[in-house]
Amino acid sequence: MNPRALAVWSAAGLVIALSTGNPAYRAIVLLCGLNLVAARGRPGVSARPLLFGAGIAALIATLLTLLLSHTGAHVLFRLSPGIPAIGGAFTLEALAFGLATGLGIAAVVLAVAPLTLVCEPHELVDALPRPLARTGAAVGAALNLIPGTIRSAREIRDAQRMRGWRAGRVADWPAVAVPVVLTALEGSLTLAEAMEARGYGAQSRTHLATTAWRAGDTAVAVVSGSAAAMFLVLRFSGGAPDWYPFPLLSAPPVTIAAISCCACLVIPVLWPRR
Amino acid sequence: MLGFSGLSYAYPDARAPALDGVELSLGSGLALLTGASGSGKSTLLRVCNGLVPHFHGGVIAGQATVVGRDVLTTPTRELARDVGFLFQDPELQSVYASVERDVAFGLENLGIPSREMGRRVDEALQSCGVAHLRGRAVSTLSGGERQRVALAGVLAMRPRLLVLDEPISQLDPAGAEALVAALDGAIAQGTAVLVAEHRDELAFRHSGRALQIEAGRLTEGVPHSGPAPTSPRVTVRRGRGPAPTEAGWQLSRVTAGYGATPVLHDLELSGGAGEVLVLSGPNGSGKSTLLRTIAGLLPPLAGAVRRAPGRVAYLPQNPGALLHRSTVRAEVEWTLRRAGGAASPDEVLRSFGLCSVAGRCPRDLSSGERQRAALAAVLAGSPSLALLDEPTRGMDEPSRSALVEAVAGLAEAGAGVVLATNDRRLAGEIATRVVQVGEGTAREAFSPPEAAEPC
Repeated sequence: MNPRALAVWSAAGLVIALSTGNPAYRAIVLLCGLNLVAARGRPGVSARPLLFGAGIAALIATLLTLLLSHTGAHVLFRLSPGIPAIGGAFTLEALAFGLATGLGIAAVVLAVAPLTLVCEPHELVDALPRPLARTGAAVGAALNLIPGTIRSAREIRDAQRMRGWRAGRVADWPAVAVPVVLTALEGSLTLAEAMEARGYGAQSRTHLATTAWRAGDTAVAVVSGSAAAMFLVLRFSGGAPDWYPFPLLSAPPVTIAAISCCACLVIPVLWPRR
Repeated sequence: MLGFSGLSYAYPDARAPALDGVELSLGSGLALLTGASGSGKSTLLRVCNGLVPHFHGGVIAGQATVVGRDVLTTPTRELARDVGFLFQDPELQSVYASVERDVAFGLENLGIPSREMGRRVDEALQSCGVAHLRGRAVSTLSGGERQRVALAGVLAMRPRLLVLDEPISQLDPAGAEALVAALDGAIAQGTAVLVAEHRDELAFRHSGRALQIEAGRLTEGVPHSGPAPTSPRVTVRRGRGPAPTEAGWQLSRVTAGYGATPVLHDLELSGGAGEVLVLSGPNGSGKSTLLRTIAGLLPPLAGAVRRAPGRVAYLPQNPGALLHRSTVRAEVEWTLRRAGGAASPDEVLRSFGLCSVAGRCPRDLSSGERQRAALAAVLAGSPSLALLDEPTRGMDEPSRSALVEAVAGLAEAGAGVVLATNDRRLAGEIATRVVQVGEGTAREAFSPPEAAEPC
């Protein structure tokens, strides 16, 4: 898929997920993102770390809301009000609102994730507008350093362990943290040297090959862009009602039109793979 | 092609110049630059494409022209049109994640049209013998493959002068051979090649011009005229130190690897006190995995690892992984303090030829000096088992000699030593046993009774 078409799709997903607090719409964005990653993800690239991170973020949001928001009609249990911050009633409404917030975070992540999980990094760089091409190349190169830095951090920890270092006291951590930082800096400098030595910045960059724009990309861009625009219209005209569980929990209201807009985000997987 | 006249250079805040009155004129063909660690090899090479002084700063005097351009006034990115530069570490010079794109990076920077670019990428991959890697991710390549891909990226830019900074120091013999073969092709097409290297594979096919640098002063050396020996002279050290006794370490039916992916299967291997065991094998064969398993850093997926009591010294491939103190002396003292030994830091520093740099920050040293500092830092304090991963990386002859002496001293003192190295000469000099690692297993390549020549 052309990265620019995918960027339009991601923007549409973000618009929908961020413009409403209604978990029903957010859930559809989330499912469309998951579906896209599963169906069009790059071979050999695992989505697990990202999904795990999104899950953790959603869980934290849920717990924080449950712990800190003590309003709502359905009380699940109570802690002594004397306990700072978390003391008081724990309500079903707060739990539901927390879940909706977590769902929103996960939906946002899944709206953006396909950019890195479906497209090659160099495709993204190539798709940047000309004024950003040089910066994009530098960012791409910098991202390339991350796996090496993680590897070297492990190596440094192991090497210091063999010299008697133990991860006990905070005062001992510089023995590992300092070499990790210095090694990363050295790696960055060497990479900068290598880029400069290969003519980085000499003139406007060309590209080996750019991902062609095909009919399917037009369909993805038009359908998702229109769906997001239509959702915004519905949202502000009352056709896509929001949801708020306080003070009394109720089911999220949905309309066929709004659900249809969200469901349009399934479009990338309906088109055949390149 | 290249002309330096009265060229002197000092890094920012340096007390002594790194280059001192260099006079050099280079035409086409191969020129081999040798010199001790820290003598100024890398600095001289970096002048060729302007990284010195444009990237590093400092004070420069004299004249330097490359392909008719004044290095002192032409930015590196402009010189890149005519000067290709290959760095020592293949891991740190790839910009893109895929082979094809990485090779094209330089061409993209020079604004080459995409059609022409595709043709040049094809040619460069072919000439370096890595066309089959075209669609691979760079992270999945071995060190040798990575370095050849990096060379392809440089050759694709069709430089008139090719500069290589110890390009084979981290490669196994096969990887080094393949890289040298790729260089052959470039030289045959009229590219001038200037290479700094300690290992002598580059003298195989060419009667190259030899240059020597010492304390920043360049002199003409003895030209290389014939092929170097292709197989090592294996001289097993025997009769030194105590005879290997009971196993200092032992692997029993060990399967080792990362995550759930085994790299080595069902190993039965052991090493005795006073024994120097060399692990040999191509890049990526599992030598480091084996060392880490013996060290206890990598729990085996199956089987059991046993080590005799005592301190284990471990030198990782990257010496920077160890060095975090402000001076070399402080590094040695840190280990001695933790080891609880009675050895003097001065003694350790002297044995590794580090007295002159004892007060310097380890990270300001040249790669060879840094490697020596790392060795001194781990071997200080009489370990009972020393595990050294590619200890001769970037080392000059004096440093190698110091390493050989240190290893012999450890063995004499009854320590077990295990080295992972592709340095066949080193293996021939110090090994009591050689174990070949590859294809998921480790097997005895030779043992003293069959292969030894008494010395």
